[in-house]
Amino acid sequence: MGRGVHLGYLLISTLLAAIGGAVGMRALRHGHRSRATVLWMAGAFLGQIGFLAIRGEMRGACPLMDTGEVLVFLAWSLTLIYLFVGPTYRLSLLGVFSAPVVVVFQGIALVPGVLDPNPERVLSTDAWRETHAAMSVLGYGALALAAVSSVMFLVLDRQLKEHHLGSGLFRNLPPVRELLVSGRRLLWLGWAMLTVGVVAGFLMKSEGAAAHLAAAVVVWVAYALLVGVAQFRGLTGRRFSLLTVLLFLVSLSVFAFV
Amino acid sequence: MELVCLGLNHRSAPVEVRERFAIPPTRLGEKARELIDAPGIEESVVLSTCNRTEFYLAGESGEEAIRALRQMVDTGGNEHWYEKHRIDAARHLCQVAGGLDSMVLGETEIFGQVKDAYRRAHAAGATSGVLNRLFQRAFGVGKKVRTETTIQEGATSVAGSAVELAEKIFGRLKGCRVIVIGAGEMSRQTAQALVSRGASTVFVTNRSFERAEALADEMGGRAVRYDDWQATLAGVDVVISSTAAPHAVVKPFHVEAVRRVRKFRPLFLIDIAVPRDIDPEVGDIDEVYLYDIDTLEQLAAEARGRREQQIEQCAQIIDAELVKLNLPGT
Repeated sequence: MGRGVHLGYLLISTLLAAIGGAVGMRALRHGHRSRATVLWMAGAFLGQIGFLAIRGEMRGACPLMDTGEVLVFLAWSLTLIYLFVGPTYRLSLLGVFSAPVVVVFQGIALVPGVLDPNPERVLSTDAWRETHAAMSVLGYGALALAAVSSVMFLVLDRQLKEHHLGSGLFRNLPPVRELLVSGRRLLWLGWAMLTVGVVAGFLMKSEGAAAHLAAAVVVWVAYALLVGVAQFRGLTGRRFSLLTVLLFLVSLSVFAFV
Repeated sequence: MELVCLGLNHRSAPVEVRERFAIPPTRLGEKARELIDAPGIEESVVLSTCNRTEFYLAGESGEEAIRALRQMVDTGGNEHWYEKHRIDAARHLCQVAGGLDSMVLGETEIFGQVKDAYRRAHAAGATSGVLNRLFQRAFGVGKKVRTETTIQEGATSVAGSAVELAEKIFGRLKGCRVIVIGAGEMSRQTAQALVSRGASTVFVTNRSFERAEALADEMGGRAVRYDDWQATLAGVDVVISSTAAPHAVVKPFHVEAVRRVRKFRPLFLIDIAVPRDIDPEVGDIDEVYLYDIDTLEQLAAEARGRREQQIEQCAQIIDAELVKLNLPGT
């Protein structure tokens, strides 16, 4: 399959997510929510599958070998979990808030040089390494969505606190309690997958991966603390949401370097 | 065939006049049937609610039908009654069904009442070609007005605004626990509105324990002695405060003391007392959402304003639908 085809899939997927987000935002400005956002995101998801399938074929392995692939895989797992969680919990606007994250991740992947233009075929695969990479990135998809729902909470919390209740955004955001519950569940899900990823990391052949594994353990411990404290001691919604967003951004930046 | 409407409502007649002409729902069909026995009236529907009594009639001559109706109902003078003829009568019915003629603009209860009145008249054999078509179209218009405009959006009362905010914080109110501090009328109304939307447990506290018990009984809740209300705070989601105290009753330390036990869950405080019962500094606590009477009234006023802005759009919908109907008699 040609090099251009998988980039075409990625480009189309990014455009669909961008249109979904823009249509959703436009509807919000007019005081209602667009039910089509989920369809645009489903289209973006199919594009992501197309890209990852071709890229996986080229690699002969799970396409998680360069930064671009990791970003697209991350966007894919975020979209996948959104498509499950959004309609299940009736979290309106989750798609509108998720779409920009998908566009940013995939937009960075599309910057020349981020995706290896000539991906090398992997000669031998290590099942533990692939499990480590795939589960970690899937877990990050859930954690990204937890961060998205936390941003939604922070917006709503501010509007409620300051009594700014006239906007279409306010009317269409899900209730505070639902955002907090879904954020906590997503955090648990992401942390559980991260746990499998970290365990697999210790079982893989780890030449030169010590710093990466150490960072993974630190991130895992940080998330364990957050989910534990939120679950057993309790945290205010604002503190929980700020920590969820902050931890996601910090850990993502850490993995960009190690 | 000519369509006419004779009626009185909350704008044209005071309650002591309206109650004289009120007809119980169970008698609406029978009344409609009686009317078509009168000369000049071929079809009729009688609508009677707490805010209006209206007779929709179809006959060869509108004037003759009205004359016959006045003799049967003994409407007295013209002072409180309005007459609508042909297209004006049809437009009026659509406005009524759409909630545009209601005391609370855009309210939806009237739609069901119009439907019920028509169903009873139809079952009594008092309707035929003209009124059947008119009422079916009016129901379509009522639905269209509700779905294509925002005429029914936003609560227009303090209690309604409080309920909307509670739903924005907690989602469904099923299982929500409420404490009412001060057993006044406003707090009763607000608590009642929360209960009607699913709030499960209501605690009532008041300086006079007997009043607390009376209100608790009315709402199926539990009375709490005034000295003990602080202990209840740990387990509730909503606090409604409306005492006559000249100073703040709920202070930051009350909430601070139970935050850990509550695991920092959201807490919605509704202060409908003047002077205020809840120290404004309580609102600075992270998980607390504090609303006082002014803010709630302002929200209700904004919602009423938004509804009024929709009237023109509703009128256009009604006119367009009536043109499509092209009903004989209009």
